[in-house]
Amino acid sequence: MLPASPSIGIAGVSYRLPSTVLSLDELHGRGSLRSAPETLAGFGFRQVHVAGGESAVEMALSAVDRLLDETGVDREDIGVVLYAGALPSSSTLATDSGQAGGELHLSEVEDLFKYPVSRIQAELGLDNATAIGLSQQGCASLFSAIRIARDMLLAEPDLRAAVCVAADRFPTDARREMIYNVISDSACAVLVRRDWPRNRILACGHVTKGAFWDASEMENEIIAAYFPTARTVIHDTLGRAGLKLDDIAWIVPHNVSLRSWEILLGLLGLPREKLFAENIARVGHTIASDGLLNLRDLLDAGRVRDGDRLLLFTFGYGLNWSCIVVEH
Amino acid sequence: MTTEGTALVTGGTGTLGRELVRRLARDPQAPGIVVLSRHGREAEPAFPSSVRILHGDLRAGAGLDLSVKAREELSAEVTEILHCAAETRFTRSLEEARAVNVVGTRSLMEFAGTCRRLRRFGCFSTVYVAGLRTGRFTEDDLEVGEAGFANSYERSKSEMEREVRAWMADLPVAVYRLSTLMGDSVTGAVGRPNAFHHALSLLYHGLAPMIPGDPQHRVDLVAVDYVAAAACWLFRHRFEAGRTYHLCSGSGKSGTLAELIDAAIDSFHRFRPDWRRRQAEKPAVVDLATYELFVRSVEETGNEVLLRATRAVQSFATQLAYPKIFDTARTEAALGGSGLRPPPVLDVLPKVVRSCIEADWRPTAS
Repeated sequence: MLPASPSIGIAGVSYRLPSTVLSLDELHGRGSLRSAPETLAGFGFRQVHVAGGESAVEMALSAVDRLLDETGVDREDIGVVLYAGALPSSSTLATDSGQAGGELHLSEVEDLFKYPVSRIQAELGLDNATAIGLSQQGCASLFSAIRIARDMLLAEPDLRAAVCVAADRFPTDARREMIYNVISDSACAVLVRRDWPRNRILACGHVTKGAFWDASEMENEIIAAYFPTARTVIHDTLGRAGLKLDDIAWIVPHNVSLRSWEILLGLLGLPREKLFAENIARVGHTIASDGLLNLRDLLDAGRVRDGDRLLLFTFGYGLNWSCIVVEH
Repeated sequence: MTTEGTALVTGGTGTLGRELVRRLARDPQAPGIVVLSRHGREAEPAFPSSVRILHGDLRAGAGLDLSVKAREELSAEVTEILHCAAETRFTRSLEEARAVNVVGTRSLMEFAGTCRRLRRFGCFSTVYVAGLRTGRFTEDDLEVGEAGFANSYERSKSEMEREVRAWMADLPVAVYRLSTLMGDSVTGAVGRPNAFHHALSLLYHGLAPMIPGDPQHRVDLVAVDYVAAAACWLFRHRFEAGRTYHLCSGSGKSGTLAELIDAAIDSFHRFRPDWRRRQAEKPAVVDLATYELFVRSVEETGNEVLLRATRAVQSFATQLAYPKIFDTARTEAALGGSGLRPPPVLDVLPKVVRSCIEADWRPTAS
């Protein structure tokens, strides 16, 4: 008889949101929006968080440091660090964090090999961890990191815990609206542990449709593809977990337009009450951090009961649709 | 040998009208044919030379924008009228739709009243005078009560039928209600793309994320060659004034919404194997409230491409959320002996899709 698979659970989530907040009107005044502020307000947005001089890796360091403190995990138990950046600029240290944001600043070719994940491992004393960078997953980056961490923990009995962290910071002067969503800078770190029954990962699902790789040329097709594919991925992931939509207590969203969530809930036949939507207005769309950042706030709010099943869903350029089902 | 008299055809350059004119022109028992057209001869150079084309306009009143002499001559010779002319674009304002469908029909009725030799008048309408009613809709039904209509076309056609029914006391009129024309059942050719073809095109181009309705409800579409053949038979061999007929597929030959979507996507794969590489997802079938929320969101963003796409199909798509069955009992009985039956929609759809793809979604010659 085969031994039962160990429980892989989410043991902690910490995040870093820059303290500088800009309202929709302020963004509009800076020319950072494409749509009218009132249109975006109608879609549920209110403000974004903007990093000043803080780089993506500095936000990541802050989030991981807090995660380690809050969970009290023994740093020697961390066998893997997965650093996931949605933006290419997040996966290099050769950027100017102050003014130019995401622009590469190379003094010498070796600059190309200065990796954020190595710096995180070194500065936080995660000496037993294999450091791995993950990219090109868009806003689904952190979900992909968690999926890989879970699979590594299942496959390698020696591994006890993994840290997944995503961090992204938009270039300073970049437009902060994409497909009618407003973008925040942030980092989010997640501790994934073996034999951890709390927030047990029941299933992960992911679909990539590379045909839509050209985001600027295919914006309309992307909007059209988003809804039916999201529904398919959610249904397939629930099926993998042996669950139905009715079994889900909470939908933990990515912080895209609330309107798009209302439409997707309509496709799914789910009531609005199951959606944890408070952070869409407060936080905005933090690229890869949304889902786990929201999970942390939902848990902190005391609104999740033992045994509740939670469905986390996100979508990223690439295109990538990703879903995780956990049991609290 | 041509039967004595003249058949006046309006809307002879439209999808159905063109098909009717060709059939009548091939029929040795049919009378001579006069097509009343706003565009004159240039409108349809493919008609046989025996077909006369008169430059006229229904919107000009009972004079039809003809000279007094031409009108009097026409009035004296017309023995049959086939009224196909209509404003069929769903996006027209109600006033624009009424100008052709109600006022134009009234003008033709008034003209018909001057035709002393008139034996029969066939007036074409739509089964969607049923508006947003649900359930069974018989050939005698016309009232929609508080259900209302999906668009100006339906409403104006309903108003037209009321007027036509009033005229039935004085004129030998029969009404032929059409379902949505999908193309030719043999070649798949689409004379003039309508909202259904726009919806297919959006599906093909990956711009149709969702469709309102119930996957299991039936959607009535019909092949244009069947409609033309059935109309000719009913008009020429089984004419009965005061009657209304449903020229549609009915419950037996139509497909469910889910079947139609699957058949369309199967046809995309079959006739354009590269289509698979688009990684397009099958559109979700949603309730009307969800669909309207999507449309409203598109409107609020002002996204021109999606706006055009959603508007092109919105009024058509709305009907999908109001399932109904069009009763065809009278038509089936009257077609007895003709050998005519509507071809199954799911057999015709692949041919139509193939034709549309090969023509790059432009109109195809039938």
